[in-house]
Amino acid sequence: MSDVTDTGTVAREAAEAEAAEEAARDAAVQDVPFPATVRRGRGGWVRWGWRQLTSMRTALILLFLLAIASVPGSVLPQEGIDPSAVTQYYDAHPALAPLLNRLSLFSVFAAPWFAAIYLLLFLSLAGCVLPRTFRQIGSARQQPPRAPRRLARLPMSASYLTALPPAEALASARRMLSGRRFRLRTGDGWLSAEKGYLREVGNLLFHIALLALLVSIGLGGLFGYKANRLLIAGQSFSDTPVSLDVLHPGRLVSAADLAPFSVTLDRFSARYVSSGPQTSEPETFNAQLSYTSATGAPVRHYDLRVNHPLTVDSASVYLINHGYAPQFRVTDGKGKVVFNGPVPFIAVEQSGLTSEGVVKAPDAAPTQLGFAGVFLPSAVDVGGRLESDFPAPQNPRVSLVSYAGNLNMDSGVSQSVYQIDLSQMHRLPISPRPLAVGQSMTLPGGAGKITFTGYRQWISLAITYDPGQFPALCSGVLALAGLILSFMVRRRRLFVRATPEPDGRTLVEVGGLARSDAAGGFEVEFDELTAELRTAQDGSPAPASPDSASPAADAAAAGTIPEATSSSTREGE
Amino acid sequence: MPRQPYPAYRASRTARAAGRPGLRPWPTGLTLTLGLAAALALAGCSGGAIGANTPQSSGQSFVSGSGTSIYKPGSRPLAPDISGTTLSGAHLKLSGYRGSVVVLNFWGSWCAPCRAEAPGLAALATRLESRGVRFLGIDMRDDPTSADAFMQTFGIHYPSLNDPGGEIALAFRGSVPPSAIPSTLVIDRTGRIAARVIGSSSYDSLRKIILQVLAGHPASAAGATP
Repeated sequence: MSDVTDTGTVAREAAEAEAAEEAARDAAVQDVPFPATVRRGRGGWVRWGWRQLTSMRTALILLFLLAIASVPGSVLPQEGIDPSAVTQYYDAHPALAPLLNRLSLFSVFAAPWFAAIYLLLFLSLAGCVLPRTFRQIGSARQQPPRAPRRLARLPMSASYLTALPPAEALASARRMLSGRRFRLRTGDGWLSAEKGYLREVGNLLFHIALLALLVSIGLGGLFGYKANRLLIAGQSFSDTPVSLDVLHPGRLVSAADLAPFSVTLDRFSARYVSSGPQTSEPETFNAQLSYTSATGAPVRHYDLRVNHPLTVDSASVYLINHGYAPQFRVTDGKGKVVFNGPVPFIAVEQSGLTSEGVVKAPDAAPTQLGFAGVFLPSAVDVGGRLESDFPAPQNPRVSLVSYAGNLNMDSGVSQSVYQIDLSQMHRLPISPRPLAVGQSMTLPGGAGKITFTGYRQWISLAITYDPGQFPALCSGVLALAGLILSFMVRRRRLFVRATPEPDGRTLVEVGGLARSDAAGGFEVEFDELTAELRTAQDGSPAPASPDSASPAADAAAAGTIPEATSSSTREGE
Repeated sequence: MPRQPYPAYRASRTARAAGRPGLRPWPTGLTLTLGLAAALALAGCSGGAIGANTPQSSGQSFVSGSGTSIYKPGSRPLAPDISGTTLSGAHLKLSGYRGSVVVLNFWGSWCAPCRAEAPGLAALATRLESRGVRFLGIDMRDDPTSADAFMQTFGIHYPSLNDPGGEIALAFRGSVPPSAIPSTLVIDRTGRIAARVIGSSSYDSLRKIILQVLAGHPASAAGATP
């Protein structure tokens, strides 16, 4: 039992020394409550401030603040997302709105105070990671420590006798260990070897990659943009603000930075599973596009499919949605055609693609006309009610509710094409009946006529340009690789001492120490190394010495002292 | 236990294990989480939309009239020589108007702010015609039937180029790209853009801008800024 006590003592000693060191260090950097008894110069205050900023506590507070600061962004209407909602808010709260606007609460994510929070957070992160990186570089270049005096006290140790003189024994150990790519340090009668520096490299890689990840995501936020556009078959659009539905440019992006491509949707086809348990599930989507990468450039063709984006000028165009756009012809009360074209309807359910939309004829006379409709691609009668039972247009029907009056468009307040402002409209006394392609509905009171002339399909496109995407991917992969490396690789040390014995032979002592939490397995490697050393030096078992360490050494070499091993792993970090 | 002297540095309080390789001022997982959170925050802060220009929400800025930019002679960008087919089927070229002040209006019949400014534009076009001001519309994302009905409603007699796909708007990429519908550009006699109004333009303010451009001498347009 004495050996266990022995190693226990070593561990305790080490722990005590460590604690003392830490206490000293902590005292040196202790944040003395203000007003401090310690006087700080100007530099001292700067250092103190920097330490505060880069402390984990500050970063957590900043992160929390960031979360709180984005709350108004989801509670209040945002200019960047829905300007018309902001206008409406102004109308509803004329006193409060200007005040909120002054606090940038209608554009939270562009607000100076929001920028301040995330810049501080970024600084805090960088301030933590960068110095750490330098320390890592320093430790990666460190030499192994001197060999301890009593190797037998190490968690792993062994000893043997050899006929070689001490210098030659060490030299042979040196050759063997350097052949195994150990980093070596020699002294008078001892040799230290250390391996597993890749762990530090992995750590370093992880931290640098993490910073690079931050920078590349920031790059995307500054120079990238996102846009959306709904495109009906036969229509085209250009990558310029007025031709896009929504555009979210990065902070340093202007309209002139958008890639100048134009896209036409020639044809869209969708196939659906027609039988089995997955009936109505989409099988394939294919949008046949013609595009030019710039005005006057040759026209190219591309089959756009889900997860198969079109890349033009490093911007990517993704297919994200699809639907039907029934076509209508509206004739007003005076017999003039005031509307003739497709209107995108939005699906309200997926299994039959029942879609809803509105038709507005603001130039109809004598009164403006509006229609709220439901489009059924495959209409079936279910107990007197029409439903769509399949997404493909097998039996397309449209059903419309008609309104007349004032659409409220001429006052200048923006409105959605998917909604009718009914506040000044009245419903016309005609019950909606499902129209097939080519059928019309004559409105009562000579208000006019609407004809369902056909249907087309539309697709919704997401256009993204993110210059940080590829660097972010690379950094992410590198960070992961670094993390794995730092978890997989162990730092381990091996010490050899050679002392001449009175009988002319040499006592070779070997000690081993694994230095990380991920230890385990070094015992085996240690035994192998020791055996190899011993064979190389033609060693014989060491005589039982009066020193109590020998049994421990033998036992440790056999790997039977779990306590000793565990006391060593504690040393690792 | 012999210990390697560690490099001297100022450790933060959190850097408890200072001096040992692989020290952890912050737990790795936490660093990662914070890093990702910060990155997401940065990515989320990518500025506002330039203009939401759908038929569903036309790009009227909520502060009306705030979108006027005036370019001084000498710093006026050259307007691209756009051309196309008008709604009535004629071929038209912007350079054909060289020598006149041109008011270029991007509009759509579906766009409520366009409908609000239309009476003012129609009146200005009629009143300033005798002074050599020409109006030209660019009808965006529209169908000719609706556009025709719109022009009839508001008594607009000047021509409009049909631009359903935005190619004409794209041609302004290198100069003053319109960022919302409606947008109005005032082009001087030398074919340079003198003013841009984003959003609904009012009769009075647009008239003032046009008169200023009319008064400016063509010679000074190419010369120094006043």
